[in-house]
Amino acid sequence: MIRNKMLGTLVVLSCIVSAVLAWSAAAEPQGKLVMFHAGSLSVPFQAMEKALEAKYPNLDLLREPSGSQKAARKIAELNKPCDIMASADYRVIDKLLIPNFADWNVRFATNQLVLCYTDKSKYSNNTNADNWYQVLQRKGVSWGHSDPNLDPCGYRSLMVLQLAEKHYKQPGLYDKLIANRPKENIRPKSVELISLLQTGNMDYAWEYLSVAVQHGLKYIALPDQINLGTYQHDNFYAQAVVKVTGKEPGTFMDMKGKSCTYGVTLIKNAPNKEAAIAFLTYMLNPQGGLKVLKEMGQPPFVPCRVPTEEMKARLPEALKDLVEVKK
Amino acid sequence: MEKREPFFWLTVSSSVIILAFIVLPLFDMVTDPSLSMLMETLKDRDVLHSIWLSMYASGTAALIAFVFGTPLAYLLARTHFRGKRLIESIIDLPIVIPHPVVGIAILSVAGRNHWIGEALSALGIRIMGSVTGIITVLTFVGLPFYINTVKDGFEAISPRLENVSRSLGASMAGTFFRITFPLAWQSMIIGLIMCTARAVSEFGAVVIVAYHPMIAPVMIYERFEAYGLKYSQPVAVWLVLVCLLLFLVLRVLTLRKAKES
Repeated sequence: MIRNKMLGTLVVLSCIVSAVLAWSAAAEPQGKLVMFHAGSLSVPFQAMEKALEAKYPNLDLLREPSGSQKAARKIAELNKPCDIMASADYRVIDKLLIPNFADWNVRFATNQLVLCYTDKSKYSNNTNADNWYQVLQRKGVSWGHSDPNLDPCGYRSLMVLQLAEKHYKQPGLYDKLIANRPKENIRPKSVELISLLQTGNMDYAWEYLSVAVQHGLKYIALPDQINLGTYQHDNFYAQAVVKVTGKEPGTFMDMKGKSCTYGVTLIKNAPNKEAAIAFLTYMLNPQGGLKVLKEMGQPPFVPCRVPTEEMKARLPEALKDLVEVKK
Repeated sequence: MEKREPFFWLTVSSSVIILAFIVLPLFDMVTDPSLSMLMETLKDRDVLHSIWLSMYASGTAALIAFVFGTPLAYLLARTHFRGKRLIESIIDLPIVIPHPVVGIAILSVAGRNHWIGEALSALGIRIMGSVTGIITVLTFVGLPFYINTVKDGFEAISPRLENVSRSLGASMAGTFFRITFPLAWQSMIIGLIMCTARAVSEFGAVVIVAYHPMIAPVMIYERFEAYGLKYSQPVAVWLVLVCLLLFLVLRVLTLRKAKES
């Protein structure tokens, strides 16, 4: 009898223990979490990674930065295992991942083009959002952008100039501006322009807002109609067209203007869905990841957005409260 | 037949490994692009211009090294003074500094935030994005190769010859130009080749100072980034071929003359 009782207690105890273990395993995300993301998100995601791994010591976030298109292709064409994909252009997720590889697409932050300068830049005291395009035409003012053929920031900078011509109603502005920008002021990547600014070799340089903020540069913020930062203006942005080199020398293709709007999604067959949802819950939280993005110069949507009620219904339960429906 | 020691075979086999290590990847690269692709590239004006600019800038850098480096090499070979080791280490510095750092250092001196940069801009000299800037960088990285080679050349000439000349009443300059220079000019040619070769291969420092106008290594990088390996290789092949030819001709010429004299 006594023996039976003891056995019974043991069974009950072991049930409780295993239940607790199972519950804690569910509550505590762990293991490897793979994330493909746009290169421009490296800095904020690095900060989020630290915060999350401090919270869940058994979780290991593996980030692979690359171009957004490339990140999507790794999932859709190479079938590389991945949990979360964050794109610098939210439409990449719509085009390449939905419906086969993802169910939803949350727009969570934006970026925009700004004109950076330093204290020592010529006319820096009097340059502002109303007259920057006149300053850039002055003789002796040295300004530059990155190579449109190698760096998206490069062709986006040119788009801003084209849009400025339309927005400020200054026909011929684009050509006049380019005429005052010798070829020598083009660099392979936009980040390289920063050292030219800081050493006084250049007065003004086109950068993403995030880059300006992360490097502590002074910058002129431009109107929403031309800064490529607001997706509601996508139709206006689309008027800007920049020719960049194609697949081989001598061939070209047209890039059309569109907003820098970041999107994130959970991959359907994510190997570590639990951890992925835990990360996304933190990332889309105004007190968590969105705050980090704000500090890094990538203004977040608070709350984050999905386009339709239908898509909101497909979100994991934990995320539904963090997202609103907005076109 | 004489029996070779195992040590001999050791030296032979290491030599074969080393040569294969250098030649195999290069051979692969040189033979990979098709002949039509190579000819196609040769019609590209941008490519021709970049190779020409590479040769021109490197050659100019070598000439600057020749003019300013020869006296310094002579001084180091002939005199002993406190701090000589320090000066020799300073001359070697451009070899050890990471290339992008060289570019950044030169740009920061050339910018408006520096008095040198201000003086240069007052004189109308621009370093950023100019051929002047490229030559500056290439001289910086090439100098140690010229100076060290020529210093060794001077050291190999007995100072006694100079002493005899001086004791017979020739001036220091006369002695240098009539005795030392004719004996050391071969090492100077080799120094020039070394310096040019180093300068032609420089990429990291140049791309920071000047992306446009493009020297050949920068163009190879740009082609690789924008179009991939297929379109960067032919440019590399032509650069390698031109350099190989040039250095071969120089070496053959100098060797022949040396034999004649």
